[in-house]
Amino acid sequence: MNRSRRRMLQLLASAGVATPLGTMFGRNAAAAPSDVKALFVYVPDGVIPSLWHPTGSSGNLVLPSMSEPLAPIVDDLVFVRGLNMYAGGATHEGGAAKVLTGDSDVSLDVFLGEETGGGLAHRSVQLGVGSTFQGGGDKMISYVGGSPISPDDDPINAFDRLFSGLGGGGDGGGGEGPTIAQLRAGSVLDSAIDDIDRLQTVLGSAEREKLDVHLDALREVEQRVTGQITASCDEVVWNEEGYANSDADNYPTTYHREDNFGLVGKLQTDQLTLALACGVTRVGTLSWSHAVSPTRIAETGATRANHDASHYGSDIAGEAAADYIAHRRWFMEQFAYLIERMRSIPDTGGSLLDNAVVFLCTEINDGNLHDHADMPFLLAGGASGQLETGRSLDYRGTAGGENEAHTKLLVSIANMMGVNIETFGYSGTGTGGLDGL
Amino acid sequence: MAMHRRAWGVCIGLWLVTGCYDGSSVDLGAQTDGGATDGVGEEGDGSDSNAETPELSCEDGTPGPRSLRLLTRTEYANTVSDLLGIPAPNVTSVPVEPEVEGYDNNADASLVTARHVEAYMDLAQAAAVVAVDTDAAGLAGCMPADPGCAQAFVEAFGTRALRRPLTDEETQHYLAQFDSDAAEGDFYEGMRMSIEAMLNSPAFLYRSEMGESVGAGLFRLSAWETASVLSYTFVGSMPDPELMAAAADGTLDNVEGIALHARRLLDSPRGRERVTTFATQWLQTASLQSANKDAAVYPNFNDDVRQAMIEEERRFVEHVVFDSEQTVEELFTADYTFANDALAEFYGLPSPGSAELVRVEFPQGHERGGLLTLGGFLAAHAHANETSPVGRGVTVRERLMCQPLSPPPPDVDATPPDVDPNATTRERYSQHSADPACAGCHTFIDPIGFGFEGFDGVGAFRTQENGMTVDESGSVEALIDANGNSTSVPFNGARELGQVLGANGAVQACVLEHYFHFVSGRADLSEDECTLEELGKRLDASGGNLHEAFIDLTQLESFTLRSENSP
Repeated sequence: MNRSRRRMLQLLASAGVATPLGTMFGRNAAAAPSDVKALFVYVPDGVIPSLWHPTGSSGNLVLPSMSEPLAPIVDDLVFVRGLNMYAGGATHEGGAAKVLTGDSDVSLDVFLGEETGGGLAHRSVQLGVGSTFQGGGDKMISYVGGSPISPDDDPINAFDRLFSGLGGGGDGGGGEGPTIAQLRAGSVLDSAIDDIDRLQTVLGSAEREKLDVHLDALREVEQRVTGQITASCDEVVWNEEGYANSDADNYPTTYHREDNFGLVGKLQTDQLTLALACGVTRVGTLSWSHAVSPTRIAETGATRANHDASHYGSDIAGEAAADYIAHRRWFMEQFAYLIERMRSIPDTGGSLLDNAVVFLCTEINDGNLHDHADMPFLLAGGASGQLETGRSLDYRGTAGGENEAHTKLLVSIANMMGVNIETFGYSGTGTGGLDGL
Repeated sequence: MAMHRRAWGVCIGLWLVTGCYDGSSVDLGAQTDGGATDGVGEEGDGSDSNAETPELSCEDGTPGPRSLRLLTRTEYANTVSDLLGIPAPNVTSVPVEPEVEGYDNNADASLVTARHVEAYMDLAQAAAVVAVDTDAAGLAGCMPADPGCAQAFVEAFGTRALRRPLTDEETQHYLAQFDSDAAEGDFYEGMRMSIEAMLNSPAFLYRSEMGESVGAGLFRLSAWETASVLSYTFVGSMPDPELMAAAADGTLDNVEGIALHARRLLDSPRGRERVTTFATQWLQTASLQSANKDAAVYPNFNDDVRQAMIEEERRFVEHVVFDSEQTVEELFTADYTFANDALAEFYGLPSPGSAELVRVEFPQGHERGGLLTLGGFLAAHAHANETSPVGRGVTVRERLMCQPLSPPPPDVDATPPDVDPNATTRERYSQHSADPACAGCHTFIDPIGFGFEGFDGVGAFRTQENGMTVDESGSVEALIDANGNSTSVPFNGARELGQVLGANGAVQACVLEHYFHFVSGRADLSEDECTLEELGKRLDASGGNLHEAFIDLTQLESFTLRSENSP
C-alpha cells in the first residue's frame, strides 16, 4: 500500500465511510485508455459580452476583464463566438435545458457516456458545486429521457461513489473470494433486478421506459460492486484540506454553505480530473451553482449574489456590474486551475489536457438581456491532436447571414470523442460539426 | 356557471401561452365548454371478465395515466422511519428531485439513476442494521428457532414494506435471502438481508398506481394501492396500520370508507404539515429560506424575521385550512396572521410579547390581510435590493389564476430598467407596458405587480420610495367572472387585490388545480378537464371550503381509476 492509498483510506474513514477500496489502484492495472475524454463545465448567468470576448488575433489574444484570469491558459483555449442556442425558451431555465441537449431529450454528456463508457465504472459523472441549492431543481443541464439528472453536490459522497467499492474480484486480491460486503451488495442488486424483471413481466409495456432506466442503473452498479470494472491511478491525493461533512447536517448542508463554496469547488474539480485520469469515466460534468444563481462568493468582495449582479442595467462601470465581473473572474480562476491541473496529470503521449476536450458553457449570453444569441462559449484541451488551441473563432453571420447553431459545436465535441454523429438536437442550420474548428 | 368558469380559465390560459406576444385581439365573448368529455368508458375490450367496466360521466372526473411514482426523498425518509420504527434517515445522498411546475414529485421526470441505486443500497443497509439492532425480536415477531418464523416475518413485514400482500413467488424470493451466502446462516443476518432486499425493490421505491384492468383501457386501483394514494397524498408516508386494515377488510372499496380515512389522515398532525408543504411549493416561497437580501438596502431584515416569515406562512395556512372557516376566501382576506415579537415589530404591529408565533389581529385599516401580504410571499417574490413587479405579477397570474404565460420570445429585448434614484420602481418598469412588443403580455402582469409596490423587497410596508410617494394602484386584467366573462378589476394595494382574487370563483378553483398537480404528480393537466370542473363545482357547493375540497378529491370515481399510458 503506497502513501496515497493510505491517505485515501484515512480520508474515507474521516468521512465516515468504511467501504473497502478494493484493488483499483493496483500497480499492475492496465494503462489508462488513450481515448479522448470530455469535460463539460457550466458557469451560471452569462456574461457582459463586451467584457468577455477576446480581441486581437489568434496566438495574440487580448482578454478583457471577465476573461482576463484565463490569460495563463490562453494557449490551451479556443474561444468560440457567434453561436446561437436556437429553439426552446429564451430564459435561464430554457437555456439550462438546451445548452447540452440542443433541445433534444438527452444531454451530450449523458449521450457520450452511453456511447463511450461501456466497461468503465461510470459512463458519465455529474458533479455540482451548490448546483441543487436553492431552486436548482428546474435548472439542471444534464438530461436522460427528457428528465434532468441531479448533479452530486456532496464531494464526500461523490468520492465514495467514484473511488471506493471498485475491484475486489480483480488482480490485487491474490485469488481471495469476494468479501461479505460484496456478497451482500451483489445479493441485494440481484434481488432488485429480479424484482424489476418480475414487475415488467406483469406490466408489459406500461412504464417500461422508467423501469428500463432503473434496470440500467442497477446493472451499472452491479458491474462496479462485483469487480467487473478496473481502473488505475498512479497517484491519488485528494482532500488534503481535510474537508468533512458535519454530523449535524441540516439546512443548509455543509457542502451548500456559502463559506464552503470555493473549497467544495476545488474538491469536485480535483476528483473529476482524477476520475478522468484514472479511467473511472470518460465524461464528466461540473455545474458551478445553477442558473439564476443565488451564490455570493465572499472572497470576491461582491455584495450581490451572482444573478442579482448579472442584472447590471446598462452601466458596465456600475456597482452591480463590478460584482458580476468579480464573480465571473472568480469562476474563471477556478477554470484556469482546472485546466492547469489537467495539464499537470500525465496521460498517454502527453497530459490529460492533451487528450481531453473541455467545454465551458453557460445558459444565457448577456446576463442583463437573457438572450441566447452569440453565446460566450469556449473549448480547451487538445482532444488528442484534433483541436488546435490558442485561437478565437467567430461564427457570427456564417449560417446564411444568421449566427450558427450551437448544436454544431456539440456535434464537433462528439466527433472528437470518436462518436460519429451528424446532428445533435436542433439542426436548423444544417448538419455536421463546426467548420474550421 | 361553475362549469363555464373552469373552461374559461383554461381557455384564457392557453391564449396567454400562445398569443400574447403577437398582439392579436382575442374574442373574449364566445363561450366554450372546454371539450369536457362524457362517457369515456363505453367500449369494453372484453378481456376482463370479473370486473365491471365503469360508465364514466364528466362528474366522475377523468382517470389519470397509470404510473409508478418514485418516492420523493421526504416520502422515502418518512416511509423508512414508519416501516422500521427508527428515526428518519438523512437522505441527502439521494439525488435532488427535478422540479416541474414548481412541484418535487413529478411522476414522469423522476427516474432512478445509478446514484439513486447506490444511495438506496447504503440507506437500506444502514436502516436494516439499526432496526435489527434496536429490536430484533420485536421486528421478527417470532423466535428464530420457531418453525416458519422466517416465512412469518417475510409475509408480515413484506406486506408493510411493499404496501400489499406478497405473492407466493415474492415470499420465496425474500425467504431466499435467509439462505444467501452473505447471511452466513445467521437468522438475524438473514432478516437484515431480506429487509435490504425489500427496501431496494421497485415495489417499495415506487408508489404503484397501475391498477387492474376493468376494460375499455381503464384500470382500477387495488384497495392496497388506494391506501397508498391516500396515505402519500395526505401524510407523505406509507399507510398506517388502520389504513392497511381498511385495505384488507374492504373498507376502501367504497367512497364512504375512503372519505373516512382521507379525513382522518388529513386532520392528523402529519396531514396538517403536508398541507403546509403543498402551500410552500404552490406559492414558491421555499427560496426565502436563504434568499440573499441586500443589508444595505434592507437593514431591518434579519434571520429572526426570515425564520418567523417562513413559520408564519405555515401557521397561517394551517390555521385557515384546519382551524377556521377553511375557505379559499379566508386564505386571501384574513384580517389576522401569526407573528412573534420580531415579526410584529417588522410589520409595525404591537408586540405580542412572545418569541413564539401567536395569532395577531390586524387593526382596522391596516395594509395587511391574507396570503398576498405575508412577508414570506412578498420577500420570496422580489429581488435582493428591489421589488419585482414582474415576478410578483407572473406569480399571481400563474400560481393564483392558473393562467400560464409563455417566456419572452428570443427577439424581444428583455433588458430590465436600470436602477434610478430619481424614479420609483413602478416608473422604471412602466416601460414594459408602453413598448408594444412587450405590452401584449405585460398588460396581464405589470398592473398586478404594481399593486404590490406598497411592500418592499423584504415585505415591509412603505409609502415612500426614493422620496417619492408609492403608487400601489393596480388592476387585474382577464379576470374571469361568474358569468364566464373576462373582466378588468381595479384595486388599490395587495390587501385589496387579495379581496378581489379571494372572492373570484376561477381563482378559488385554481387552488385546487395546483393541489391536483401536487396530488397527481403531473404537470400536464390538459386531459383533466372533467376532474377540475367537478372539483370546482363541489368547491362552489361547499362555499369555497378548501378542507372539504381536499376530501372531495378522493370521492371522484377517477380517484381510484387509471387509464392506459399514452405512448
